[in-house]
Amino acid sequence: MTSSVLFAPVQLLLLLALSPLVGGVIKTLKARIQTRRGPGVLQPYRDLAKLFRKGMVIPESASWIFSAAPVVVFATAALVGLMIPMVTAEAPLSLFGGVLAVVYLLGLGRFFLALGGLDTGGSFGGLGSSREMTISALAEPAMMLAIFTVALSANSTNLSEIARAAIGQSWRFLAPSQMLAFAALFIVLIAETGRIPVDNPATHLELTMIHEAMILEYSGPYLALIEWGAWIKQLILMTLLINTFYPFGLTLEYSPGGIALACGAFLAKLLLLCFLIVLVESTNAKMRLFRVPELLAVAFILGALALISTFLF
Amino acid sequence: MYFYQDPQFGERMITLMAALVLVLQIAMVAQRWIVTNIRVFAAQSFLLAGIANTIAYFNHAPHIYFAAVMTFLIKVVFLPIFMERLVEKIEIRQEIEPLVNVPLSVLISGGLTMVGYVVAESFYHPESGPGAATLGHNTLAVAVSLFLIGFFMMLNRRKAVTQVLALLSLENGLFLAAISLTYGMPLVVELGVFFDLLVATMVLGILVYRIRETIDSMDVSKLRRLRG
Repeated sequence: MTSSVLFAPVQLLLLLALSPLVGGVIKTLKARIQTRRGPGVLQPYRDLAKLFRKGMVIPESASWIFSAAPVVVFATAALVGLMIPMVTAEAPLSLFGGVLAVVYLLGLGRFFLALGGLDTGGSFGGLGSSREMTISALAEPAMMLAIFTVALSANSTNLSEIARAAIGQSWRFLAPSQMLAFAALFIVLIAETGRIPVDNPATHLELTMIHEAMILEYSGPYLALIEWGAWIKQLILMTLLINTFYPFGLTLEYSPGGIALACGAFLAKLLLLCFLIVLVESTNAKMRLFRVPELLAVAFILGALALISTFLF
Repeated sequence: MYFYQDPQFGERMITLMAALVLVLQIAMVAQRWIVTNIRVFAAQSFLLAGIANTIAYFNHAPHIYFAAVMTFLIKVVFLPIFMERLVEKIEIRQEIEPLVNVPLSVLISGGLTMVGYVVAESFYHPESGPGAATLGHNTLAVAVSLFLIGFFMMLNRRKAVTQVLALLSLENGLFLAAISLTYGMPLVVELGVFFDLLVATMVLGILVYRIRETIDSMDVSKLRRLRG
């Protein structure tokens, strides 16, 4: 138990350092698949460094919420990152809370982001916030159903317990309920991180934008915090997806060799998931906003079927 | 013994493929484009052929191989190509307009799946020892759900081509129920069903063409206007 708390700074460092890289890798892979050269993998780090050096423009109509939102978004994301098993099966802060705490801490971050969008009174901000809230309200039930499916088979909502139970059973990842829950959670991942069928992460100019519309008023270090928080959130959701369904290589003890091996396995799985996301992004066109509920209804049904089939299969 | 000879592994694979078949059926309900719908149907039939193959392999029932090959040839290769040509030829709008909107139809399909499970549960008697009744109950549930959802799709769609597609996926459910419960019907019945299906689709194809020629639309609900 003590060693798991001692591991917390390591995981925090890993989380902070790795999350922009994942964003960069996805961007580069996507460019390559579309036969463009694209920015380098390290571009997000350069963006962050630049944003932190710049000054800020704060609208006159902004209240304290405008300055609080980026901090809350970043802090909740970093905190949640310590509550999920990343390379060790025991999450550093697993005593703090299980999967419900994870989901609703992310919800708190999203709530403040939406408030930040509304705060300045700009029409784009309000538009983005309302869309974000609509989508997350639809994505949340699907996510909860998928997560309850894995929680049921582990008899616990604690993520460390879930990961440990998943390591114990071979062939479990082939069970239909697991596949259905994985598919549901994958759709939720796409929706929550604003990827292509739902939102386009690469544009500031479309009327259909969601995430970008909310943060249109932010600049400088605040924008850097929000962007970094969004990357961390993306990494968290991806980690949640791969480590609850495919927990190969998660280490149970804290030896340097075991941790190094687990890191390697984690990075390999992450790269595979990045590739999957890039494939989905490159082969689909962005949906009309009113079609998004259809996609999320499919995710919801997949989650519900997963839950039913754990009882019956 | 290799893992691929382990009956447990076979059962897992069958269950997994059956679950994927169900997912594809719901994808068909949610999907709006006719051509994509046809391809989803082809993928579903391919998985079905896979299930038939696996059952044949693990239960040493050579005549099911035949059913698997027939499924592959007719439902994966021939019918999708035939229907895609038909869609191209009659130049209809590529979008399906269901009567009930998509999120609600997906939810209804979920509900129908639950009904399927409840129905299949009553066939499940593990105490009577191993046999068709215990092996089949996962796949039977999926089969009943496929049947119900296929039926719902037929009701829910206006155009004749998409109704044919729903009929075919409904028949997939029947096939799945047959092979999972009885390890395949007699070959003659099997052949008869395939032939039936083939002829039905061809006839419907011609009929669809005629409907469009006569009333300049594919919407079957407009056929009522012909009454004097």
